[in-house]
Amino acid sequence: MRGHSVYKVPQGKLLKTTLEYDETRHTIQSLRITGDFFAYPEEAIELLELKLEQTPLDHTVLVQTITRLIHEHQIQFIGLDAEGLTQGILRCVL
Amino acid sequence: MSEQWRLLQTGFHTAAENMAIDRAILVANSQGLVPPTVRFYGWQPPAISIGYFQSLTEEVDVNACQRYGVKYVRRITGGGAVFHEKELTYSIVIPESHPQIPKNILQSYSRICNALIRGLHHLSIESTYAPINDIVVKGKKISGNAQTRKHNTVLQHGTILLDVDVEKMFTVLNVPSEKMKDKLISDVRQRVTSLRHIRGKDVGFDDVATAMKRGFEEEFTITLRQGALTSEEDQLATQFENECFSTRQWNHRR
Repeated sequence: MRGHSVYKVPQGKLLKTTLEYDETRHTIQSLRITGDFFAYPEEAIELLELKLEQTPLDHTVLVQTITRLIHEHQIQFIGLDAEGLTQGILRCVL
Repeated sequence: MSEQWRLLQTGFHTAAENMAIDRAILVANSQGLVPPTVRFYGWQPPAISIGYFQSLTEEVDVNACQRYGVKYVRRITGGGAVFHEKELTYSIVIPESHPQIPKNILQSYSRICNALIRGLHHLSIESTYAPINDIVVKGKKISGNAQTRKHNTVLQHGTILLDVDVEKMFTVLNVPSEKMKDKLISDVRQRVTSLRHIRGKDVGFDDVATAMKRGFEEEFTITLRQGALTSEEDQLATQFENECFSTRQWNHRR
């Protein structure tokens, strides 16, 4: 299945997410994160998209996984955060 | 004696050339080949730049751009889509380790925007920094800014709007639906201003550049000395233009 969401992150920027997901397993197949936010280093967004493949579409799991990846890869977001990204992903499934 | 930085006034260039020059300065500065640099420039023909993370086709009506001779380019900085027509664009390139640049990214936005705020003051315009990356006059945006940090070097570039034609802007930027277009145009008119609108007359590119030069000199207690791109920067810029900013692979990558 494919879904798309446009989500204004509270106090942040406009996040546009495109998601391909496995309906049966309820996991991410592929993810495209776009928008007018800032991330340092910029290339980290592609890494996040890749590392989140196969992640369950579950709020707690997503926030934890994204938070871990942010720390592991020393990513700094401005106008976006783990909760905002999770919301963007989950809104593709609504 | 105050520290000397380089001032580049590179005139008007295409979108791909402009982004290639900024990146070339970033690389040259990171290699210690050139001093901290402030650059003022314009766009010819008019162009849209999109943020690094934006989808080109989602933000830009590529066919309309071709019809109206508007170029488009993906920046190496994040942030939103900008229609560059009547504006002064600046860039600053400086080592991350420079004592004048806060390590904290938001604080460094604020510091650099202060130079523009001082510059606007010299044009008799009182403005304030509006986090994350805007400068506003009476609540209306007059300047948008975007920063990246690569190779331990800061590049921030941004615009000072001389004039704005919101309707023209939305002939080349995509809108969620045609039904919403009028509302969107009216919203943007409410939220955005320009030097022409504030002053009630045209303010020249060169006058704004002179004011902004003073603003940077005062904010950073430096002297900006007129310079030129080095031959290494020229070569790098040509390379970045050909291999990156003018390519479909780069501009359509998201």
